[in-house]
Amino acid sequence: MIRLENIIKVYKTGTVEVRALNGLSCRVEQGEMVSIIGPSGSGKSTLMHIIGCLDRPTSGKYILEGMDVSLLREDQLAKIRNKKVGFVFQFFNLLPRVTALANVELPLIYGGLRNRRQRVLDALESVGLSHRAHHLPSQLSGGEHQRVAIARALVNNPDLILADEPTGNLDTQTSKEIMLILQQLNQKGITIIIVTHEADIAAYTQRTIYLRDGQIVKEVRR
Amino acid sequence: MSLWESFITAWRALLNNKLRSALTMLGIIIGVGAIIFLVSLGRGHQANITGIFESMGADLLYAIGSSRITTQALQGISGATASLTLEDAKALKDPIKAPSIALVAPIIQIMGNLSFEKENTTTTIVGVTPEAQDILRYSVANGVFISEQDIKLKASVAVLGDRTAKDLFGLRDPLGEKIKINGRNFEVIGVLEKKGAFMVTMDDFVIIPLTTMQTRILGVITPRGQPVQAIGVKPLSIDHLDAATEEIASILRQRHRIREGEDDDFAVINMQEILNRMREVLAIFQIFLGSVGGISLLVGGIGIMNIMLVSVAERTREIGIRKAVGAKHRDILRQFLVEAATLGLSGGAIGILLAIIGIRLITGVELGPYSIKAPLSPDIVIIALSVAIFTGLAAGLYPAFRAARLDPIQALRYE
Repeated sequence: MIRLENIIKVYKTGTVEVRALNGLSCRVEQGEMVSIIGPSGSGKSTLMHIIGCLDRPTSGKYILEGMDVSLLREDQLAKIRNKKVGFVFQFFNLLPRVTALANVELPLIYGGLRNRRQRVLDALESVGLSHRAHHLPSQLSGGEHQRVAIARALVNNPDLILADEPTGNLDTQTSKEIMLILQQLNQKGITIIIVTHEADIAAYTQRTIYLRDGQIVKEVRR
Repeated sequence: MSLWESFITAWRALLNNKLRSALTMLGIIIGVGAIIFLVSLGRGHQANITGIFESMGADLLYAIGSSRITTQALQGISGATASLTLEDAKALKDPIKAPSIALVAPIIQIMGNLSFEKENTTTTIVGVTPEAQDILRYSVANGVFISEQDIKLKASVAVLGDRTAKDLFGLRDPLGEKIKINGRNFEVIGVLEKKGAFMVTMDDFVIIPLTTMQTRILGVITPRGQPVQAIGVKPLSIDHLDAATEEIASILRQRHRIREGEDDDFAVINMQEILNRMREVLAIFQIFLGSVGGISLLVGGIGIMNIMLVSVAERTREIGIRKAVGAKHRDILRQFLVEAATLGLSGGAIGILLAIIGIRLITGVELGPYSIKAPLSPDIVIIALSVAIFTGLAAGLYPAFRAARLDPIQALRYE
């Protein structure tokens, strides 16, 4: 499903060049649940952004479902983010001033869908939050925040969910709940990639990719 | 994302910051309100003035003499020769020399005292012939106007202006009552309809037969003849105005023996020309009033741009989230453009409302004899509203572009 070949990503900050990814190659198959683990600065977030079409590699080839993403225009990337990919972030990234319902609805609006309400409620239901649909983010707990974010990520029936430190801001019990939800989604056939630096979070996944200095140093299958 | 959804999103965003949105709109509110209010007021003023001029007769020509000399002549000061006389008026009636002229009305006008029982007033006494009714467009509300018979008999009859009738008689019917004009007895035979006011009231005077004026009130004849202040002339039609003006000038120059190159001792006033001149002045005045509102709109537009820039900066993270879930460049552009246009539209709508309230409050207010009119016309409302929306859009363009061009990753990291 995902094929990365010799991906290089260079950031320029002033005169200094930072190589966030340095000739990285890997594959992720349809239906896999993979974790990417590594210290900060190892390039995990950059990799995630590139996989999620939020960013483009400086060089290298990225094939997503047979499409060469590096050739696509900005609008086409936005469409992929909308239809094929769901993001879950460490800091939840919900719109603070609208309800859980409206937050989950957002991808459907940009997807140009009508009759969205039932799909939004279904998505909230599947993360066990249908009773909180009309609450504002400020009225929700951390775990509930992340569950709304997951509902938003899956509402458009994506093939791929990308979670960047999804439990980084949650306690152990809540983290466990979130990981179980992600496992359930994986069992329904959605490919899931989780970026983390915690080994016990990585333990929920079938395969762990170890990253250091922009390169894969180890892979472990369970 | 449909336009309607963009509008709903924009509306929610504006409601989240009610005070800020209201303050941002203020410039547009004042601008639109001022344009509609002031232009309506200007139009009302123009309609008032035009109406007054038309009631005086837009197709009317006046020959007037030098006022100082005429006043002296009327007062019988020896040696003073009026530049216009009754004989001049008669000459203008000549159908061969003046074929474009339909009616001629010599007018003598002095200030005098009027009394009825214990009521006393100082007013203008006007001596006219029956033609004056047609030329000066007097409508008789009650009774009759001066007739040929009255002229022949030098009858002591008077027709009162609306204001004068009220001053002297209050609510009583003046018809048939005896009044004194400069100490002489007159009988009231008519009261005129109200004409309104232009700077001063136009209903305060008493009309008597010209012949009665000459013999009973003045009794003065200068070497050239009986002096008059003005001769009102009505051309055959409005198209004969210029021809009639030429004829008056040529007849009077000949009679007054003014040689080629010498200045006239009279002037021919064309009411239409005065009205046109007045309209030009009012049009400039309107542009001036409108531009006051326009400047406010410009300031309002800058205010919108300023706030939109602040808003884009504040919502950088929101823009990042929207892009991450699939918002395209043009979705973000449209969101902020619609938001700015909504500011303009809402400001415009409130401005219109305030202008309507202002117009309601001021319409009919009496400034002395002048009654304020301010008709609200749909064209100016549509223009003002369009300009307000356009201002919002123009002001939102740059901030919206900035928002749309944000890098989603940078935007998501923004604190």
